[in-house]
Amino acid sequence: MKVIKAIYNFIVGDMIILIGVALAVAVLALINNVSALAPLKGFSGPFLIIAVLASLVATLSREAFSPNR
Amino acid sequence: MQWVVATAAFLASAVEFVEAFTIVLVVGVTVNWRSALLGALAAAATLALLVATLGTALVQWVPIDVLRTVIGTLLLLFGLKWLKNAILRYAGLKARHDEEAIYEETRAQLRARGAVDASASRFDLFGFLLSYKSVLLEGLEVAFIVITFGLSAATSTVSRSSGIASAALGALAAGLLVILVGVLVRVPLAKVPENTLKFVVGIMLTTFGTFWTGEGFGVEWPLSDVFLLILAAIYLGAAFSLIVWLKRVKEHQRAQVIENQSAPTTVQRQEVNP
Repeated sequence: MKVIKAIYNFIVGDMIILIGVALAVAVLALINNVSALAPLKGFSGPFLIIAVLASLVATLSREAFSPNR
Repeated sequence: MQWVVATAAFLASAVEFVEAFTIVLVVGVTVNWRSALLGALAAAATLALLVATLGTALVQWVPIDVLRTVIGTLLLLFGLKWLKNAILRYAGLKARHDEEAIYEETRAQLRARGAVDASASRFDLFGFLLSYKSVLLEGLEVAFIVITFGLSAATSTVSRSSGIASAALGALAAGLLVILVGVLVRVPLAKVPENTLKFVVGIMLTTFGTFWTGEGFGVEWPLSDVFLLILAAIYLGAAFSLIVWLKRVKEHQRAQVIENQSAPTTVQRQEVNP
């Protein structure tokens, strides 16, 4: 458990960023592999950029409005 | 030589080397230079071994598309972490890294332990381990960036080994520069614009991470590689807007706290005006 936590802290250390990026990658994988979603392929690039920015805004908002700060 | 890769590795490494240098310096001054330098050299050798073995294994065994997706995602995570911390520091919501404070704190710890005889040249295990640990931990991030950046930058015309070599040269140049300046001034390198470097590296890692993750999923970016500049501009613009917004949030919160402290409570008002 300690090792996993150390790796998590080393690479990201932030649950919102991790979930945001993981969700974005999962959606891209779906768009790329499910034939019914093939028409959405053209939106993959803009979607990724928006997902990255949304993750950044979400994690910064949490820091800014945290009652513990 | 891939200059973008080398520059990114140089900037990222410079930040980490400054942090590691602070601890090596305090061990050198407080314990002795022999233990401090041996610890730093042993850590540097460990890191070189790590980059060589891990880098070579990845180069030989993993297909480029898989590598781009995985490494692009890792770079995104890493880049967003750096960018988030740099934005929080610029907005005043997080304390800036203070090398002088770290130097004094570590020195006080070593003094409390009784290790103050810097003139003694005998090998000190504690000083060695402290120096080794700090260089290894800070250097791990450098090794990570060198491997991921070097591998992902590879194109059909540039081999992956060449990418790693460019990134490693950038990191090596940063290490030598920090050591050279450190030896000349022999004080903690407090004037290095650490947050600016972290901000720039955060933008670069996020930009390349987005680009390569997209390519891994078959995204065809408009204008090909030139789109990297557009991506960097988008993230830069967003980051500056976020800094301005967070500064306003901080000011608003501060004003609210002052207002709450100065405004008399209902009970106090009733006591004053019964």
